[in-house]
Amino acid sequence: MVHALREAHRVLAAGGMVADLRPAPEHRRVSIARGGRTRLIGTMRESFREDHAANRAVDRVVGEGWFAVERRLRFDCRRVMDTVAELREWLRDFDTRRGHSSHEWLARRVERALDHGTAPSRIVARGPLILNALRKLEPAPRGSRARGASSRGGRRARAR
Amino acid sequence: MTYVVDLERREVRALARIAPWRGRRVIELGCGDGRLTLRLAALGARVLAIDPDAECIRAARLALPERFADRVRYRVGRAGRLNARAESYDLAVFSWAL
Repeated sequence: MVHALREAHRVLAAGGMVADLRPAPEHRRVSIARGGRTRLIGTMRESFREDHAANRAVDRVVGEGWFAVERRLRFDCRRVMDTVAELREWLRDFDTRRGHSSHEWLARRVERALDHGTAPSRIVARGPLILNALRKLEPAPRGSRARGASSRGGRRARAR
Repeated sequence: MTYVVDLERREVRALARIAPWRGRRVIELGCGDGRLTLRLAALGARVLAIDPDAECIRAARLALPERFADRVRYRVGRAGRLNARAESYDLAVFSWAL
């Protein structure tokens, strides 16, 4: 992650910016919206290991002087699905990409809840996103031309 | 898939708050199927969108609307080793990719 941020620094023009957009480390809630009402069906059990690693990577490149944090935004994001099949596909992709244990239990719970109603309904997964705006600083820290992490940079970051 | 992400377009509004996008050279890392790429193009950016998944890139190319064809390019690649010249972009977007 640190390496990817440094590579972004390399390809950015002077004064350029990184926009780091990703889910906030918070469990997403899955609900059913029906007839103007929303009923919570379950809360996902995501691991936040990668999210915390990404936060540490941002802190590190900022601490080392590659970027300055210009803005941090946080906002809600909804994913609206019509069918359990769509929910299953999304959950499967989500679990695979992030190495989670299966959320099939949640899909089954939604399926059961949908069986009990006749009115048209939609499945809603909701969770906050964060957007970090990082401004490129120059000159790049010493040793920046070498690919890969510099342990000197790491020590400097921790010393601040 | 018929699902809709970010119905209220808060993502786009947030992006518009942090920078002007019109005419900017943008490299998007982790573009997936190009959902966010098209939103960046709609903001006026010229985007090179990269993802390590060749299947995603193929799908994104197929779904690219004609009106964005001159502004969006998709390429298979990795964020850690960009095949791009130094200082050639104004913005780098990590799209759920960091």
